[in-house]
Amino acid sequence: MAERPEDLNLPNAVITRIIKEALPDGVNVSKEARRAISQAASVFVLYATSCANSFAMKAKRKTLNAGDVMSAMEEMEFERFLPPLRDALEAYKKGQKGKKEASEQKKKDKEKKNGTEEHDKSREEEEEEEEHMEEEDGENEGEEEDVEN
Amino acid sequence: MVSVLGGRIYTRRWRDMAATLVESGALGDSELDRSGAEEPRGEGEEDGAQHTSPAGGHSRLAKLPLSRIKALMKADPDLSLASQESVFIIAKATELFVEMIAKDALVYAQQGKRKTLQRKDLDNAIEAIDEFAFLEGTLD
Repeated sequence: MAERPEDLNLPNAVITRIIKEALPDGVNVSKEARRAISQAASVFVLYATSCANSFAMKAKRKTLNAGDVMSAMEEMEFERFLPPLRDALEAYKKGQKGKKEASEQKKKDKEKKNGTEEHDKSREEEEEEEEHMEEEDGENEGEEEDVEN
Repeated sequence: MVSVLGGRIYTRRWRDMAATLVESGALGDSELDRSGAEEPRGEGEEDGAQHTSPAGGHSRLAKLPLSRIKALMKADPDLSLASQESVFIIAKATELFVEMIAKDALVYAQQGKRKTLQRKDLDNAIEAIDEFAFLEGTLD
């Protein structure tokens, strides 16, 4: 792993903001409590990943998908998260679709301008990632992060 | 490390990872609180809906940076590949988790007639609430 250890922290400012927005006005949070919540959140990610991954492995898939994470939430007894997560996923997918269409449109515009396709080969790699984003069933060839193992 | 309980297989590996990371100080150390500008520059990876895209701003859907979430996920040696959506959903779930644990801990602060959430309130919540059992023994 190339990351420095401190990169594994979730950003303090974001954690603090999430906490503050969840609690009523006038409530404060001690530094130690904030730190503990931040640690707990990181542990949550590790646990959720591990759980989700076992679903993927059971299905003989190498790529973790959103469905695996949903199953993991149930397994971890966080069913209450499922409705907001489903909504968020919908919104996310729409957003990604918009991006993809926009970048495809950009490509088309550029092709018109340049009149050549060669120019775009180098850009294709970048956009390649975004193009496959919605293909969530089974193997996802698109944007996977290849985790060194 | 695999144990079988009631027919289901539990791998405890994430717990070992958590322990290693917590002990090494990689988790929960106080970073410089640069009030919001905390993400190292160079995080140009696909952060998904994290930033407004050139396609014209759709509002950010995840508060936590996807790149950081992904970095954490990669700590798991069993994980090969993760779709962008799965990273996003884990980020979102983590936000929900933070909200939940903060609210649950607040109950204990209020019982103690305090307006400041303290570490012990977290510990109480973790002990009392089933969903938080996975945290037992993992925090500093």
